[in-house]
Amino acid sequence: MRAASRPSSGFLLILGLLLLWEISARSGWVDSPNWPPLSTVLAALGHDTWSGELPVLIGGTLWRMAAGLAFGGVAGVATGLLFATLPIASRLLGPTVELIRPIPIPAVIPPLVLFLGLDNTMKVTVVALTVFFPVLTNTVQGVRAVEADALAMGRTFGIGALRRAWNIVLPASLPYILAGFRVALALALVVTVVAEMIAGEQGVGHYLVMMQFAGRAPEMYATVLVLAVLGYALNRGFLAMERRTIHWYFALGRQSD
Amino acid sequence: MICWTRCWPAMSRRLVAALPGLVVLALILAGLEVAVNAGWIRRALMPPPSAIGLVLWDLLESGEFAAPLLATMKLVFSGFVIGSAIGIAGGVAMGWFPAAYRLLEPLVELVRPIPKAALVPPLMLFLGIGETMKITSVSLAVLFPVLVNTLQGVRGVDRMMLDAARTHGWGTRHTLWHLVLPAALPFILAGMRISLGLALVLAVLAEMLSGQGGLGFLILDMQRSFLIRQMYAWLVILAVLGLALNTLFLLAERRALHWQPANRP
Repeated sequence: MRAASRPSSGFLLILGLLLLWEISARSGWVDSPNWPPLSTVLAALGHDTWSGELPVLIGGTLWRMAAGLAFGGVAGVATGLLFATLPIASRLLGPTVELIRPIPIPAVIPPLVLFLGLDNTMKVTVVALTVFFPVLTNTVQGVRAVEADALAMGRTFGIGALRRAWNIVLPASLPYILAGFRVALALALVVTVVAEMIAGEQGVGHYLVMMQFAGRAPEMYATVLVLAVLGYALNRGFLAMERRTIHWYFALGRQSD
Repeated sequence: MICWTRCWPAMSRRLVAALPGLVVLALILAGLEVAVNAGWIRRALMPPPSAIGLVLWDLLESGEFAAPLLATMKLVFSGFVIGSAIGIAGGVAMGWFPAAYRLLEPLVELVRPIPKAALVPPLMLFLGIGETMKITSVSLAVLFPVLVNTLQGVRGVDRMMLDAARTHGWGTRHTLWHLVLPAALPFILAGMRISLGLALVLAVLAEMLSGQGGLGFLILDMQRSFLIRQMYAWLVILAVLGLALNTLFLLAERRALHWQPANRP
């Protein structure tokens, strides 16, 4: 989406909806403890932020997400390189991977709880599993898209297989790998929160469910707001990082969506 | 519908190609069986695959598997259809009418980054823990990828074709239905394929959090009751469902896009 042609009618719509929220809750059109006015939600957000409660929870969630992203990402890239360069590996292990891939990730949490308990290890593993598959798929695609000429030239200059992988294949497939990571990043945040919701007593996800049980609607909405901002910021941050890392890719006129 | 005589050689070739992988899978299961029986893995955590197979067979034979499976399938299906319909309609509207784009784009960009799983607790407050809440959660997760992809597809329609349609005096509705939608179909279907996986995730999560109905609830419930073999058996059923949905969608996609070069035989 282009940022240059920021329209005004859309912002008026959002402003109108927010106003409607505030007024409907204040004037008693919607008289329900589940429907606090926006100002109360923002006050709860401010309070929880100042008290330090929310920042600590967010820090924990982000930490688990980052650890899962790192483990799953490295495993995904390594497996992808292996699959793409050694066809026999993908022949042998491909079906197993394809059978595990479509299992909805929340369903994997109960068995993992048995093995790894409720805490960080389990959650990081769940996130790593989620991240693994999109990164793997994109890495394989990326390596297959490396120009044969570049590889042939490397061979002509007598560069060994490992150095070819590191200096030619990896940079050339980086745009694909990063695209996989971007998909994985959004999933990782969701899955971290999901894992915290289902098991254990850590992080933003658990807080969200607790506030729902306790009927503290303002805190609950405040948490959703925080997660929305977090999701947006992570995506924006990643896009900026991507543009810096593979600027040559964009310079060649290829675009990210 | 299916060309047995013509496709048979291709299918048998695919089967032979998949054979080594299936052998490895069988070896992994056999290794697990041995490891558990030898006591390397605790039985309480991972029963031998054969024991899980027996429980699975019981579930299948008694027909006990049908009701939860159908409940989850119904949930995924209704949420997927509703979310996709709204996503396609919204995407076409935003892609075709600049006014709709200006009006809705900021709202979409605002709501899209919310991890949809986080919306389940608020939805439970408003809609309770019944089907309405679950279907709404699934539709919300499906909606945005479909909408964004549809929008991209509609905006990417070849200008020449649009001009040609205008030259032939096609009206807006005719152009949308016979030119824009088919041209955007590959994008729409790609969005729907992403959404299908998300739909299953949200369905399972909603079932787990609401504590009733379907495969997601059963898996969590079996774990909490320490009925470990049952838990794995239900997990296998869910995995098969996921695999079946994925495969069916890929087949449907290939049929719908048979005119694309990549799908021609």
